[in-house]
Amino acid sequence: MPERLVWLIPALPMLAAAWIGVGYVTGHNRGEAGERHTARVSQGAAALSLFLVLSLDALALFKGAPGQIRLGEWLTSGDYRVALSFTLDGLGLAMSTLVAFVAFLTLRFSVNYMHREPGYQRFFLLLSLFTGAMLLLVTAGNAVLTFAGWELAGVSSYLLIAYAFERPTAARNATRAFVTNRIGDAGFILGIFLAFHWFQSVEWPTLLEGTEGLSSLSAGMVTGGFLLAALAKSAQVPFAPWISRALEGPTPSSAIFYGSLMVHAGLYLVLRLQPLFEQAPALMALLAALGLLTALYGFIGGLVQSDAKTALMFSTTAQTGLIFLECGLGWFELAAWHLAAHALWRAYQFLSAPALMHLVSRPARPVPPWLQRRRALYTAGLRRFWLDHLADWLLVRPTQALAREVQSFDEQVVNRLVGLPTQIDAVSSLAEWEARQRGVVRTPEGSVGRGQGVLGGLMEWLGSILHWFEEHLVLHGGGGGLLKTMHRIGGYLLIIEQLLSQPRYLWLLILVTFVVII
Amino acid sequence: MADSLVMVEAGFPLLSLMIATLPLGAALIWLVPDAGKARWIALFTAFLDLGFALAVVAGFDPAHAGFQFVERAQWIPTLHVQYLMGVDGISVLFLPLTVLLFIGVILASWNRVRTLTRLYYTLLLLMESVTLGIFCSLDTILFFLFWELTLIPLYFLISLWGIGPNRRYAAVKYMLFMLVGGVPLLFGFLLLAFNHAEVAGLGIPAGLMFDYLNLLATPVSAELQVTVFFLLLLGFAVKTPVFPFHTWLPVVAMEGPVAVTALMTGLKLGAYGLIRFVVPLAPDAAQEFHWLLAGLGVVGILYGALAATAQTNLRRMLAFSSISHVGLVVLGIASFNLQGIQGALFQLLNFPVVAGGIFLLAGYLHHRTGSSDVISLGGVARTMPLLAAFFFLFGLAAMGVPGTNGFPAEFLILMSALKTHTGAGLAALFGVVLGASYFLVIYRRAFLGPVRSAVVMDAVDLRQRELVVITALAGLILFAGLYPNGVLDLTRLTSENWVAGLNPPRP
Repeated sequence: MPERLVWLIPALPMLAAAWIGVGYVTGHNRGEAGERHTARVSQGAAALSLFLVLSLDALALFKGAPGQIRLGEWLTSGDYRVALSFTLDGLGLAMSTLVAFVAFLTLRFSVNYMHREPGYQRFFLLLSLFTGAMLLLVTAGNAVLTFAGWELAGVSSYLLIAYAFERPTAARNATRAFVTNRIGDAGFILGIFLAFHWFQSVEWPTLLEGTEGLSSLSAGMVTGGFLLAALAKSAQVPFAPWISRALEGPTPSSAIFYGSLMVHAGLYLVLRLQPLFEQAPALMALLAALGLLTALYGFIGGLVQSDAKTALMFSTTAQTGLIFLECGLGWFELAAWHLAAHALWRAYQFLSAPALMHLVSRPARPVPPWLQRRRALYTAGLRRFWLDHLADWLLVRPTQALAREVQSFDEQVVNRLVGLPTQIDAVSSLAEWEARQRGVVRTPEGSVGRGQGVLGGLMEWLGSILHWFEEHLVLHGGGGGLLKTMHRIGGYLLIIEQLLSQPRYLWLLILVTFVVII
Repeated sequence: MADSLVMVEAGFPLLSLMIATLPLGAALIWLVPDAGKARWIALFTAFLDLGFALAVVAGFDPAHAGFQFVERAQWIPTLHVQYLMGVDGISVLFLPLTVLLFIGVILASWNRVRTLTRLYYTLLLLMESVTLGIFCSLDTILFFLFWELTLIPLYFLISLWGIGPNRRYAAVKYMLFMLVGGVPLLFGFLLLAFNHAEVAGLGIPAGLMFDYLNLLATPVSAELQVTVFFLLLLGFAVKTPVFPFHTWLPVVAMEGPVAVTALMTGLKLGAYGLIRFVVPLAPDAAQEFHWLLAGLGVVGILYGALAATAQTNLRRMLAFSSISHVGLVVLGIASFNLQGIQGALFQLLNFPVVAGGIFLLAGYLHHRTGSSDVISLGGVARTMPLLAAFFFLFGLAAMGVPGTNGFPAEFLILMSALKTHTGAGLAALFGVVLGASYFLVIYRRAFLGPVRSAVVMDAVDLRQRELVVITALAGLILFAGLYPNGVLDLTRLTSENWVAGLNPPRP
């Protein structure tokens, strides 16, 4: 059963990443001496994965695609079952071949490109992790495992954007990119939940075959969640801007992440869910519209860029927009071919981008005249259609403002409402003990009896009533012998009151309650 | 329900041995004349205890839904208070994790605690002992005793070895909060005992009953259930902490000794109490007020996450983030289904590992730089790559990224919450997005960027001793993340029983 080895395809690069990580912690492969070893391990793993994928391809050619392979249970709770399963149909095999091939080539390229860079080991660790995550994403047999690959790819993308973490922009852009992706992830989780809800399963084949009896609304809701995730991952409008921030990492990582592989992950999801999408015409229309918008955004934005990598990025965005448009129009077959061709071509372009100066002899083309004449459009292109500002205005700033308000609410209201006296040192016998140790004589403070918070206020109020009672009724009440007795009782009461007016009251209250209860 | 009453009596008092070893170790600390040996004795005792705890897990039979390793002895016969110990699928895994966290705390205090070392390690061992007692006790009075006993070591640990200028304020605040919570708790348990006497038709004290299993089987009238539910909820909510009783946690996290704050956030005893006592003892009331539980959960998630976004101190941020994560646990409990309870348990089991571990790391950072405020940090990843890398890994687990133990927990809770409280589930999803943003933003400011201060420049990376603890915890994170069924299988039967107990088959 050679196809049962399929789990090794994503596992090998991940194991390589773990190996490099362990080696780094134990100080095994640090420094330049460790470069060879590091590169060998990650390349070896990627090569083995590629070999496995190719053998499965060969098997599929002769005996037909293996289809769904179930290796066991992974996460089980009641009727929520997530299996360790893989879908090796035409789409899965084609995508995994593409991923394994491009990843292997990029790793090979990086061996020389990253030589003597600080963080060489980190780079190979992350690239291996990413390769594993991407392979898991495209081979996984159910939505949850795909999500696992999806998230791990996002994490390694964050870490690679922040590769030069000492540059504040790099770190900031990485955070932005990851949080944007996280919004999409929420959609993915929603999709998984609805799949559980309506299909009682998250296995891809069940999901796709069960579409028959489904209303277009239900199909639309399931698909909507996944679509949100796909839009965020593939940087479609309105999430588009994160990807142009993502170019902070080293060139090979930009190539593999944003040029060729990760940017297509969202498209893979759409292709995977083709039957579901076909059940939901409204979403198909949305897909087409957003794809078209993204294509225009990428086209106009790309024309006004002055930097080779950024221009390439916009062109990538435009192409993925076009592929989304094709999906939206129902040409899924064409979209798949377009995806594969685009991924290969773009990987080559990005990898050769640093050497562009040597390859190109004529000067860069200026911005076309028709765009120069339209100032508004030109500005919009330069400002990237204000999508970032829009997100800031709609999401980031309100969240920050809310956070600040919660913080001050916590300090000003909640803390006071359930608060305690701040002069707590004065009652702490421990503090007195420490003070005596230091030879400081402490004097009781006047503000001790101020109650704070609801309980404190209540106690203070009670204290003042007792005080009033004592002043007016007890002391000024009777005369003669009674007064004497009263004086004596008043003396006791004074002591009690003094005790009460100290913040020990809470302790006392608690003790009294204990007594009452028991 | 009858199934849970079947218990496996222990042939050998392993649980008692586990709990009693620690005070013995504490006594040994005072008998050995050299005070410098205190930490070694403490460490050795803790490791010995780890052995006992692992033996309990190894001997635990996941195919049995009831309590195991049960020990029973009369304690106060006139009041029917018993010494009753036992573990089931809900509590068993907490034992080794608690001990492991304490080992981490002892090692983190190794060179840091220089004053009154004997007392310090004695208090730590006593604290460990009563914490294990909380997880094992099946008699409500015994439980309450252990519950209140945690306060004494913690009060002295915070007030004597705290690092902040307001440490005594923090200690008193913590103490008072916990006492305020303790009173309703005891009151609730007493009400149940009186109810048992009434149902059994016996007088007081002859009919009093504090045995957890007997109380489970005793019918409680609807009105009384509501009272008990609110009393117990209040008692446990303070310790959990649930909004608005959370204000002690950020204060203690800032003022307490760095190693001990890992305990305070890593041990979510209050949430354990919710699962163990509140819901099973007042099942109808709990289901009637499911909206309250879900609401408290969601408010906690969002409130904690938003407040964490506004923090500039790592430890304060982590305190609020733990409030947010414990909100998820409450939300999971509120869904009253198998996924919810298993997810909530999973999340609770993650706390000692993830929250405890990340607090230890923040403590290591504080030891080196004298501060955990982002303003005096920056560029930590340059000079301390391992510390930064592990902090990130623990952060990923807190965010619930697949491959870490945070994912199965969050995933199950979200799935169950979306099913039973769709609005709350959606709000929790938003909280998950926020979770990534507050962690990464503060991570960027503290760990990334250029090195700005000399202390960060000169600091050394994790030492061997620190690395051992952190690697062990990181290993657990990955193990439970990659093989979630390992944990879920252990908790399955007991959780199924827990859910079944909510809707007893009515004759």
